Amino acid sequence: MAEVILNNVRKNYDPAIHQDTLRDINLNIANGEFIVFVGPSGCGKSTLLRMIAGLEDITSGELKIGGNYMNDVPPVDRNVGMVFQSYALYPHMDLRENMNFGLKLKKLDKKTIDERVDHASDILGLTPLLDRKPKELSGGQRQRVAIGRCIVQQPSVFLFDEPLSNLDAALRVKMRIEIAKLHKELNSTIIYVTHDQVEAMTLADKIVVLSPLNPDAPTNLEQFGEPLELYHNPANKFVAGFIGSPKMNFLAGELVEKGDKTSRIRLYTGDEIVAAVDTSSAQVGDKVELGCRPEHLVEVGHAHADCQITGTVQVTEHLGSESYVYMDVDGNDFTFKARPEFPAEAGQELKVGLPTDACYLFDKDGVAFPRTAKYNKD
Amino acid sequence: MPMVQPKSLKYRKLGTHIAICAFLCLIIFPLLMVIAISFRTGNFSVGDIIPRNPTLDHWRLALGISVENADGSITPPPFPVLTWLWNSIKVAGISAVLIVVLSTTSAYAFARMKFKGKSTILSGMLIFQMFPSVLALVAFYAFFNMIGDFIPWLGLNTHGGLILAYLGGIALHVWTIKGYFETIDPALEESAAIDGATPWQAFRLILLPLSVPILAVVFILAFIGIITEVPMASVLVQDIDKMTLAVGSQQYFYPQNLLWGDFAAAAVLSGFPITIVFLLAQRWLVGGLTAGGVKG
Repeated sequence: MAEVILNNVRKNYDPAIHQDTLRDINLNIANGEFIVFVGPSGCGKSTLLRMIAGLEDITSGELKIGGNYMNDVPPVDRNVGMVFQSYALYPHMDLRENMNFGLKLKKLDKKTIDERVDHASDILGLTPLLDRKPKELSGGQRQRVAIGRCIVQQPSVFLFDEPLSNLDAALRVKMRIEIAKLHKELNSTIIYVTHDQVEAMTLADKIVVLSPLNPDAPTNLEQFGEPLELYHNPANKFVAGFIGSPKMNFLAGELVEKGDKTSRIRLYTGDEIVAAVDTSSAQVGDKVELGCRPEHLVEVGHAHADCQITGTVQVTEHLGSESYVYMDVDGNDFTFKARPEFPAEAGQELKVGLPTDACYLFDKDGVAFPRTAKYNKD
Repeated sequence: MPMVQPKSLKYRKLGTHIAICAFLCLIIFPLLMVIAISFRTGNFSVGDIIPRNPTLDHWRLALGISVENADGSITPPPFPVLTWLWNSIKVAGISAVLIVVLSTTSAYAFARMKFKGKSTILSGMLIFQMFPSVLALVAFYAFFNMIGDFIPWLGLNTHGGLILAYLGGIALHVWTIKGYFETIDPALEESAAIDGATPWQAFRLILLPLSVPILAVVFILAFIGIITEVPMASVLVQDIDKMTLAVGSQQYFYPQNLLWGDFAAAAVLSGFPITIVFLLAQRWLVGGLTAGGVKG
C-alpha cells in the first residue's frame, strides 16, 4: 500500500530531437486509489506507466512511491506489479511456475510461496488450471493469470497496461467488473492505462486525461479528477471531446452577450443559443465554440428545448433502447441521441432542442468557461 | 484441403512429382558414386555404380586396419583416418558450442539493448563477412604465427588456434538469432524484470528456453560448416595427425597416385558425424515454443 507522487515529470526518448513525449506531469495519487490514465494512442500514457514501473527512465522530474524517491531504483525494488497488454506469460512454464517465478527469485520459503499462489489462484478461480501451460488457456484466463502473477508479489502499487484490449467485448465487460471487485478486495493502489473511456469512467476513482504533446504546450496532462467531474466540468475542449460516448458535438460561433450566469452565442449556422456559462472573463465578439452532448439534446417542444439547432439528417441508427441521429449542421458532424424509433429520414431537415443548462462553452484556445448549472433532464 | 480443385491439378501434381524425383536423383547420384568407389577394387574413379568385385579394403584402411594383399604383402593404413575424424568432431563440436554461446549473447545485445553505433556494427559485421576469408589466409597465418609466440596452444598447428579462427565467422549466426529474438515479445523480459530477475536471469530463464530451436539450427549449421571447411584448416594445421578429416583426405591425392578408393571411404566416414549431430539436434527443432505467452 503506497501513494504515488509525480513532480514535474518529463520524458524525452531522444534528446537529439527536442520533442518530449511527456512534459510537466504532476500527479498526487493517494494510497488505495484506482487511477486511470486515458488518452488517444500516442499520448504517452503507457510511457508514463512504464516510467512508474521502472521500465523507462525519467528524463527529469521526480517520482516517489510510498514516500521514497524512486527515479533510480530498478523495477524489482519499487514493489510494483504490472499486468501487460500482451499478458507476457512465460510460455514454457505452467501456471504455478508462472506465478511463483518471482517469488522463487526472491528466495522465499516454499510454504509461503505455495500459500500465496494458492490464495491468488483461489481469488481468480484458477486453481483447477494450475498445471496447464498458457497456450491451453483462453484469453480471459490468461489475463487472470497475468493478474495473479501480480497479486502473489503483494505489490504496493498495481500497474495495468491496457489489460483488456485483447479481449472480445463480452469478456471485456466481465473482466472489468472482476477488476473492480479485485480492487475492493485488495484495497491497493491501482494505476490503469486504457484508451477506452468507458473503462475509465466505470473503474476509476480519478481519471488522468493525457493528450499527444503539442510542441508548444506546457504539459500534456489535460485534466486530473473524478470521472463525473470530468464529464460535467471538463477543463477544455480535448477532455470534453474525449470523455462521453458518443462524442460531444462542437459548433463554432461568436459571443454576442457575456454574463456571469448566462451568455448568448450566435453560431455560424445562424442559430442563437443561450448557454448557462460564466463568460465574464471574455469579450463580446470573441470566437467561441459551443459543446453539447448528444444525450442532452431533446426534441423540439420538450420542456427543456430552450434553443434550437437546425441540421440535415444523414443516417439514423435504431438500437432498440434508443436511436442515434447523425446530422450535418452547416458542415459539422452532429449527433443526437433520440428516443427509440425516432422517425428521421436521411436528407430531411431536423430541428433539435438544446437546453440552456446543458451547454458547454470553450474559448478560441479550447479552454472551458465555467458552467453555472448542472443539467437534469427530468 | 477440403477445397474444390480444378481437374488439371492431378496432372500438375504428377508433373511436379516427376520433377522432384529427377532432382532427387541428381542430388543423390554423387553420394552413391562415392559410396560405390569406396567399395570398388583398386583406386579407380570410374566404373559401375554397383561394384563388380566389392571389397572392404578401402574401409579397412580408413578404419586403421592393415590389408593383406593377394601376393602376401601387407599394406599398412596410409593415414590416421580415425584420428582425423576425431579431430574434426572435436574442433567442430567445441567451435559450434562456442559459436552458439558467442552469437547468442551478442544477438541478445543487438536485439534488446540500446547502445551507440548498434546498426553500424551490425551492418559492418555483415560486410566484413562478405570478404572471402580465403583471401585473408596469409594474414591468418601470420596472425596465428604471432599468437603462438605468446600463447602456444593458440598458435599455428594447434586445434586451439583453429577453433579461435572459426569463432570469427559468427556474423551470420548473430543475425539469424537476433531475428529470432526480435520475434519474442520484450514484455516477457520486462515482466521478469518486475518479478525480480536480473537481465542475465531474464535471458537465461525466459529467453533462452524459448530460443532452443534457433540455437539448434545455428549449432547444426556451424558444425556442418566446420566439418567441411578446408582452406583455413589446411593453412593453420600442417601435422598429419592434427589434421581434420576434410583436410586430411586430400592427402590421398599424390600427383602420381590418386587413391580414389581410400579417399572415398574417408569421405563417406566424414558424413557420419554430421548425420549423427543432425539426428540428435532434430528433437530440439520444434515449433510453437512461444505459443500462448502473449495475446489471445
